[in-house]
Amino acid sequence: MHHSINIMSLVADAVILVILVAFILTAFRDIARIGTGISRAWAVGRTTFIEAWHNRMWAIPVIWMVICLILGFSIVRGYTPGSEVRVYLTIFIRAQEIILLVYLGILACLSLPRERERKTLITTGAKPVTRLELLLGKIMGLGAAALVMLLAMMLFTWAFMKVVDHNIRSDAMVSYKLEKKNYNRLVRHVPPDFGLLYTATHGVLQAQNYITGKLRIAGMISYATNPPTRYLKGGSTETVYFEFPSIPANLSYQPDFLFRFGLFPPGRPAEIHITAIERENPMVTEEASVKLNAAGSAAWTPKHPFRFFSYTDPQTGRVLSPGPVVLKVTCPTFHTYLQIGDGTHLSNCSCIVTGVNAAMLHEHGIDYILPKADPVITGFKSNGWQEITGPGKTGQTPPEVASWEFTHLNPLAIPKTKNGKFTLHLICGVSKQTNEAIPNYAALFAYSSDDPTNPVKILKLHINEKRVTVVQLPERLLDGSALIVNLSSIVHGHWLKIRTNSVRIMQKPSSFIGNLFKTELIVFCEVILLITIGVVSGTALGWPVALLTTMCCYILGNLFHFVSVLAKANGFELLNIVQEHRLQGVWYYQLGSFISGVMVHVLEILVYLLPNFTRFSPLPFITASRNMPWLFLGQNIFAAMISMIPAIAVGYLVMRKRELS
Amino acid sequence: MVASGFAIQTRQLTKIYPGFWKSQQVAALTELNLAVERSQIFGLLGPNGSGKTTTIKLLLGLINPTAGDALVMGKPAGDQDTRRVIGYLPEESYLYRFLNARQTLDFYARLFNMNRAQRRRAIDYYLDFVGLDPAVRSRRIGTYSKGQTRRVALAQALLNNPDLVIMDEPTSGLDPVGMLEIKNMIMRLKDAGKTVLLSSHQLADVEDVCDRLVILYRGRVEIQGTLNDLLEVKDTFQLEARGVTPEIQTQLLEFAQRSGLTDVRTGRPRVRLEDIFKNLVDSKRKAERR
Repeated sequence: MHHSINIMSLVADAVILVILVAFILTAFRDIARIGTGISRAWAVGRTTFIEAWHNRMWAIPVIWMVICLILGFSIVRGYTPGSEVRVYLTIFIRAQEIILLVYLGILACLSLPRERERKTLITTGAKPVTRLELLLGKIMGLGAAALVMLLAMMLFTWAFMKVVDHNIRSDAMVSYKLEKKNYNRLVRHVPPDFGLLYTATHGVLQAQNYITGKLRIAGMISYATNPPTRYLKGGSTETVYFEFPSIPANLSYQPDFLFRFGLFPPGRPAEIHITAIERENPMVTEEASVKLNAAGSAAWTPKHPFRFFSYTDPQTGRVLSPGPVVLKVTCPTFHTYLQIGDGTHLSNCSCIVTGVNAAMLHEHGIDYILPKADPVITGFKSNGWQEITGPGKTGQTPPEVASWEFTHLNPLAIPKTKNGKFTLHLICGVSKQTNEAIPNYAALFAYSSDDPTNPVKILKLHINEKRVTVVQLPERLLDGSALIVNLSSIVHGHWLKIRTNSVRIMQKPSSFIGNLFKTELIVFCEVILLITIGVVSGTALGWPVALLTTMCCYILGNLFHFVSVLAKANGFELLNIVQEHRLQGVWYYQLGSFISGVMVHVLEILVYLLPNFTRFSPLPFITASRNMPWLFLGQNIFAAMISMIPAIAVGYLVMRKRELS
Repeated sequence: MVASGFAIQTRQLTKIYPGFWKSQQVAALTELNLAVERSQIFGLLGPNGSGKTTTIKLLLGLINPTAGDALVMGKPAGDQDTRRVIGYLPEESYLYRFLNARQTLDFYARLFNMNRAQRRRAIDYYLDFVGLDPAVRSRRIGTYSKGQTRRVALAQALLNNPDLVIMDEPTSGLDPVGMLEIKNMIMRLKDAGKTVLLSSHQLADVEDVCDRLVILYRGRVEIQGTLNDLLEVKDTFQLEARGVTPEIQTQLLEFAQRSGLTDVRTGRPRVRLEDIFKNLVDSKRKAERR
């Protein structure tokens, strides 16, 4: 089933290839003239721009400013100063995106149909300008309009954010001085917050450049064993994920999943909750709760094994193979910890598939399949944060640990202080279940993964909630192939709220205006692509239909991933209707299933043919105060240009034989 | 393809506008064979719907022929390079209403890849040439009168100093003075060695300026030839003289009757209303300027 995606993608690619070949064959003379043609295209574009200006294009940034200020001031109340910037930027840039897409989308769809209606195309068409130049000119003109409006909006955003930043810095400095004063007078027990000083000095707008690590473990770790042992905490929403490849099975020989956990405390009755998901088609799921025996083992057989295991269709003889399978396992039993094996071989694997194939057992002596090694554990999840618990009250249960692994580090690219240290930033939240009056402290273990002679650096840190905690680490830790940083709360009842990039190795920051400019360019890429689709739609269609077509393209372009997932189900499986035994061979069921299957594949081809708008995401970097890498920007610009070429080719092919009057 | 030493040459040029049903098809032009010599003013006459504008659009490549072919300046109709030496004045002034006269001409000049200095020179020259009041040149065309718009349209047609000028109803919307000026301009173009294809149903315009003409009716050529061939009455003689007294007039009539001439008419020649109107407006304008 999962092969169909490639076929549909190939069909779409083939169609695009045919369009491009037809375009090159028919337009090669016009393409050859593009050297002098660009100035003619720009002449058309310039007129289009002047027209947009006369249509009060300048009012759009003004309207946007008013909307942003109203939304900004009404929404931003109640946010912390750090979040305030993120909220403003989200509102400002999202509003830019929406307003420009709507406004310029409409202008693009109107552009050529209006020229036809006013017959100005007759006068222009009698001049030495090719249809390709006309098409490019329209796109260039509206693109220039988009650029001008984006620049105006960018300048306003920059100025506004500078004012906000100034206020935040002033407040931070006042707070820092107060904390310092109280600390000096012994009114306050902890030293003044360095994060405040950092904010007061640098502000919150800097586009930080940093290296993020892979957050690999968010469970309880015992360092008593080697390698450290990981536990899943019972009664929590901590989840362990076991991922299997496509499972070849012979269903006449009953396969099942076998779980083997180390139980802590031993012998206590425990239960696990399993959710099996076909990874390429997340709508195909099955859930079950299974009791573990005293040794921590249990077997589970899915009710619909064919959803997760390959099987041979008895009627057609075809081997039907679902995609990779993921098992999400949680433990609802309180005061219980499940030890998770690292899964590198059979003896320390906490979940395997057994009884997959009698023939394999006969020939190779094995009939089991192992999941991917080192299963992922995630902690409590809320609002994108994961929570790791602190130590037990009496110290019997160790705290949970978050661990980041930084690989492929280039020590030369990481700035050092005069005393040979590099900087790590830690940003996390604190959730205080008990001991609310006590400030939170965390333990940070930093070590080089493959250099046992390099001593572990252990630091006790005062955590400033959602503010930067600056950590200086010795340069020697960068010598190995990977740097491991483990973090855990050391105060009972204090849970740390972390994100995947809560720990960062800092590099030299970049300017906010540069980062904002790159963000605006991503918006521009999205807008220029929509303009191209709008102008191309207008070559053959009247403006209302062109507008509808453009809207459909944009919506389908945003459903790229959804449709890709949808298309992996077949027929009525799309609607999660499972074929029951009594329906087998019933013609109307098969016909309905066939039609729905065909329709979704047509939709899939369409989605592959259209530009993928989901790839343009301007916000993640700037709202996280992170500098957008040039590579990311380049990829977006490249993607926009590559998507524009087939669209322009279609427009040219339609327009080439179309009469201009 | 037909061989060509002509500015325009068509062979069996046919245009049928398609309809959903066959009965809805319209034959706008049927098997047109045309040959326009260089440096000639060629008239394309016919009533509404006779195929004049369709012929022009076919020659410019704005629409595609159903059958036949056409050569313009020795190259197939619609050729991009040929358009560099063609000027086209459409029957209505299809211009951008949001641009002013200078911006409009600047836009079209850019399409001919003129540089900044060339554009400025050409714009000034042709706005003067068509007589557009300098006071209105920086106003948007949407605010112009029909005559002013027509002048800008004419300027854009001449902007590239074309060898072939195609004019579709050039005098439409103009006052008699404007009409006369346009006719003078056409004569100046001819003097400069340009070829002009003039489409009109203003017969007086065509008669005044054309060397050769064709009359179309329902997409077919009905009459074709030089103006002299078509308009000259071969068996009639006209005499005009000053100082003719009633006695001389009587003697002339008696002489004609004695000579056996038939349909003899005498009378006083009349000046044309157009001339009276032009003289009046010219004198008023001169007075206003003083």
